[in-house]
Amino acid sequence: MAIRLLRLVLLPLAVLVAAAALGTFVIGRDHVSAGSTAMENPGMRLTASDSSTPAQQLALGRTLFEESCSSCHGDNANGKGGVGPNLQGVGAAAVDLWLSTGWMPLKTPTLQPANKPPSFPPSEIRAIAEWVASLKPGGYPIPQSVNLAGTKEPTGFDLFSLNCAPCHTITGAGDALANGYHAPPLRGLTKTQVLEAIRTGPQNMPVFSPGIMPKSQALDVVDYVTKEIEHPTDIGGLGLGQVGPVAEGFVGLFVGVGACLLAAYWVGDRTVEDEDDTVKRHDEEEGPEPGDGDTAETIAPGGA
Amino acid sequence: MTQPGSSHGSGDGPPPIETVGYDAPQFQVAAAHPRRMEKAVAIAFLAALAGAAGFGAAFWVNADNFWLGATLGVTFVGLGAGFVAWGKYLMPRGPFSESRHSLVPSEEHKEQFVDEFASRGKVAIERRGFLLKIAGAGTAVFGIVAMFPLIRSLGPLPKKFFFSSYWYRGAYLVTPYGTRLQVSSMKPGGMATVFPPTDIGGPFSQTMLVRQGTADITTAPGRETWSPQGYMAFSKVCTHAGCPVGLYQQVTRQLLCPCHQSLFDVGPGRAAVPVFGPAPRPLPQLPLYVDSRGYLRAQKGYDEPVGPGFWERGNSNG
Amino acid sequence: MVDALYNWFDNRLNISTGGRKIVNKIFPDHWSFMIGEIALYSFVVLLATGVFLSLYFVPSTATVVYNGPYTPLHGQVVSEAYASTINLSFSVRTGLLMRQMHHWAANIFLGAIVVHMCRIFFTGGFRRPREMNWIIGVNLLILSIFNGFLGYSLPDDLVSGTGIRIALSILESLPLVGSYLAVFLFGGKFPGTSLIPRFFLLHVLILPAVIALLIGMHLGLLVRQKHTQFRGGGATEHNVVGAPMWPTFMAKTQGFLFLVAGVTAILGAAVQINPIWLYGPYVPYHVTYAVQPDWYMGWLDGALRVMPSWETVWGPAVGGHMIPNAFWPAIVLPGITFTVLMMWPFIEARLTGDRVDHQLLDRPRDRPKRTALGVSVLSFYFVLFGASATDVLANYLDVSLNIVLVAFRVLVIAVPLVMYPLALKICKEIQDTPGAVKPKRHNIVVRSAEGGFEAVPSAGRPGDEKVELEPVSLDYAPVLEPAMAAAGGDGHGSVQVSAGTTAAAQAAMAAAASIAARGAAGKGGAGSGDGASGDGAGGDGDGAGGDGRKRGIFRIPRNYR
Repeated sequence: MAIRLLRLVLLPLAVLVAAAALGTFVIGRDHVSAGSTAMENPGMRLTASDSSTPAQQLALGRTLFEESCSSCHGDNANGKGGVGPNLQGVGAAAVDLWLSTGWMPLKTPTLQPANKPPSFPPSEIRAIAEWVASLKPGGYPIPQSVNLAGTKEPTGFDLFSLNCAPCHTITGAGDALANGYHAPPLRGLTKTQVLEAIRTGPQNMPVFSPGIMPKSQALDVVDYVTKEIEHPTDIGGLGLGQVGPVAEGFVGLFVGVGACLLAAYWVGDRTVEDEDDTVKRHDEEEGPEPGDGDTAETIAPGGA
Repeated sequence: MTQPGSSHGSGDGPPPIETVGYDAPQFQVAAAHPRRMEKAVAIAFLAALAGAAGFGAAFWVNADNFWLGATLGVTFVGLGAGFVAWGKYLMPRGPFSESRHSLVPSEEHKEQFVDEFASRGKVAIERRGFLLKIAGAGTAVFGIVAMFPLIRSLGPLPKKFFFSSYWYRGAYLVTPYGTRLQVSSMKPGGMATVFPPTDIGGPFSQTMLVRQGTADITTAPGRETWSPQGYMAFSKVCTHAGCPVGLYQQVTRQLLCPCHQSLFDVGPGRAAVPVFGPAPRPLPQLPLYVDSRGYLRAQKGYDEPVGPGFWERGNSNG
Repeated sequence: MVDALYNWFDNRLNISTGGRKIVNKIFPDHWSFMIGEIALYSFVVLLATGVFLSLYFVPSTATVVYNGPYTPLHGQVVSEAYASTINLSFSVRTGLLMRQMHHWAANIFLGAIVVHMCRIFFTGGFRRPREMNWIIGVNLLILSIFNGFLGYSLPDDLVSGTGIRIALSILESLPLVGSYLAVFLFGGKFPGTSLIPRFFLLHVLILPAVIALLIGMHLGLLVRQKHTQFRGGGATEHNVVGAPMWPTFMAKTQGFLFLVAGVTAILGAAVQINPIWLYGPYVPYHVTYAVQPDWYMGWLDGALRVMPSWETVWGPAVGGHMIPNAFWPAIVLPGITFTVLMMWPFIEARLTGDRVDHQLLDRPRDRPKRTALGVSVLSFYFVLFGASATDVLANYLDVSLNIVLVAFRVLVIAVPLVMYPLALKICKEIQDTPGAVKPKRHNIVVRSAEGGFEAVPSAGRPGDEKVELEPVSLDYAPVLEPAMAAAGGDGHGSVQVSAGTTAAAQAAMAAAASIAARGAAGKGGAGSGDGASGDGAGGDGDGAGGDGRKRGIFRIPRNYR
């Protein structure tokens, strides 16, 4: 009996639970190909290379650019047809964002780069950014320090819901845009990166300039993203990637109804094999004759 | 008496009737080791007891949702497994049977019933059929008018509800936080949700403002003045099923509705034309102009109903 | 003490007379017959948790400034409905657990209804005389889907609010009456103040009452018509083989109720569902991506997505008319779906010409065409259900959204067309292969003296063979009048019967009266023609005697079916 119990119940149950857990974690995982280990860009933090003069900084930046970027973006960052766009006038913040998230540099051109560990330390990123910014005015400077004192997270939530949720989802889980692009999940981002993204509008993301999103509002959004989006309040249990009803339906059907069906399989019986187990071709025997269920008064017992 | 309906019978006369004593295998418990099964059931019920006590404790100390639910789950599963095991393994294993009887009555009974119904009914109804008809008419009319309070009182008539636009000539474009937008407010590639000042937050007046470049844009013939200095304004209410079309892809110049992925092309010369997905009509465009102080304002309201279609909506203008 | 209590009720309600019929009622035991119980018991969980929730939920769209424990919402102006749901989740003890259990139970409820419906379909349980029960069941499905939608829309959060907006657009798309109904429903100004209170009333009072009533009718018909059963183990068209109500079925079904509740509790404990605090309140000009409805409405959402952008319009801007795009996938498709579903017993009866009673179920393989059709149609809805997640799938698989949608448009036609012949073939193959789905016996490889190898089935291990026992009939004999007890000791003589006894028992009694010993009597003997094969009344194996109230237990001989 015990062996039967083991075979019939526990083994399938274990398989189901394992499959469900696997499925839950697979769905629940962030769809980020490589975690961004973006380092905080401290802006004007003192580093070893900071002791160099601005001219040396620019020279360093240019050298690095020529080594790593000019093959696609051209020698003067003015673009190479069909490969890398013109970077003149994009501003330092944009360069900082793209390098610190690891979107750039790329070995081969691709539609939308994914997060990966940055290829340069922050000081070098800053040097490249300043050099590109020096070519032509425009764009947004690297934020000096993102000070979140006095920000109102609820306002940030409201603004996030209005401006960011349509692409990134209300939980920041990220989703697919049209024509092969993606709005990436908003996990693993620094405050600086969030602010830079808001102000520079990378690739398909719109540009939220101070005229439509004043600094206080932008900082509110940064506050919300780095707090609640980064660390969602999952008091109810497994968050399933915060994807919403898709994941919940998967779990409800396969884990919930599945577990109940397993329970039913235990409680009930199996089909008993009919000894006459040949192909049935619908020679149904008839059911009971009419009149079987009648009460007795008018029918003689045992009679016709 | 009719033969049994079954065609299985051996044919010549019913076989001996056998009786079964209470010591037959059908009355024995199903478990091979009843004592062990009893212990298992007892453990299940004890686990349920522990779980229930645990739930009480977790409630008392205001424990996390996980502990409240886990203790409750242990309680239920313990009780459930115990009762099921008891019923499955510690009760007469069976099988037992009972007879089925046809639910089709015999002809005699049918006739009897109809006779009684009709004979008494005959007295009441014969030659008074017209009373039935009048009663029926009254009931039918009542049935219809009874629907009136249930349905019509729910709300006002739509009248021109779906045709009216909250935008008007000279309306400023206002953000939900009340800021009036100027031509310098937005950089190319930007996007914002705007309203007329009289209907901030209005579900039907919501409008998507995007900027592409700094030159005037002609989205369609006849709309040369509608998009000054790169600004274009379209109704944010999707023409498919009414969701806000909040997603702007600034490189591919498309508005994507997140609900069912209708894609509206707002590239050069394209006035939010649907190019993908189920949306059937372009988003209505709000004509803009820049006033003398640099504020963005509407030339007039939308010239067609915004949002998804409805029966009374004919062909759009232009 | 129990005796006294029992007698108190018995003397007022006359339980004992009919009570034997109840306790002896037989329930066929197959596990697939319990799927309906999953639905029933998750409904019980829904009622219990729902009562708790309705004590705290405030069905009002009046605005309030939130200042509770969830800091990202501090100072925000939200509706009371939303605020009370946040309150339930953060401030009320077991509030979040009850919310999550309620929502998980709803998902399981609908899943069980669909699986149950499929089981009935594939085994032919909807055939005469059970067409009414099928229709009631389909109506239960429709009402439950609708009630689920209303339920998750109550908290007035961003995700469900977007769903309400879509639902109103769908309502609006009805020809002639659409715009009126839409404005009536939200009371004039969208979203207005009437929507949530009306939803609440429907969700908490009106629809549960109708659903409970229909469930009562569903079960009542089941009791009256008795449950169907599979062939084998002595089951025929004339009997029901299984476990008696008391004590076996009561124990098992009671246990199953707790097991279903337990699954719901564990899900409610471990897996988060509908975290409305992360979604924020519904604002008509806000929207989020990855905004799918709950799974049981996924097929509608998927249909809305894959539908090509056709729209019919004629006439001038004012005075013309339009059949909007959303009408076809959201009104016509479900209309056809549920109409065909409800009419299916009659459609099949007409197609097969089969109009007799059926108490035995088909194995799906025995009806290849029906099974294949069912699989094909189910796959159509499954593809639509998958199509509601186009964006999530495109993101997850790293494929272009456009390609995913086009793929679904193709799949929604191709998959059903492929599944039909596939299922048909599989059914026929199983039919043609003896022992197809039975557990296989091990083979022993034997080497012959000449050197060849041969595989022979091994004998079953002891204990492998399930002992097939004959069903023991619990049909009761009528209570003999005391005066007859002495005379009826050996079963001779005529007997009076109390009213209400069955013809079976009567005939059997008469048969017993004419049977002096074991052995056949004439044609009129032993339960002939009355569906109670082989039954009879009379004493127990020791011979009739004693007080005449002894009830014998009878076994149906195997060769008399």
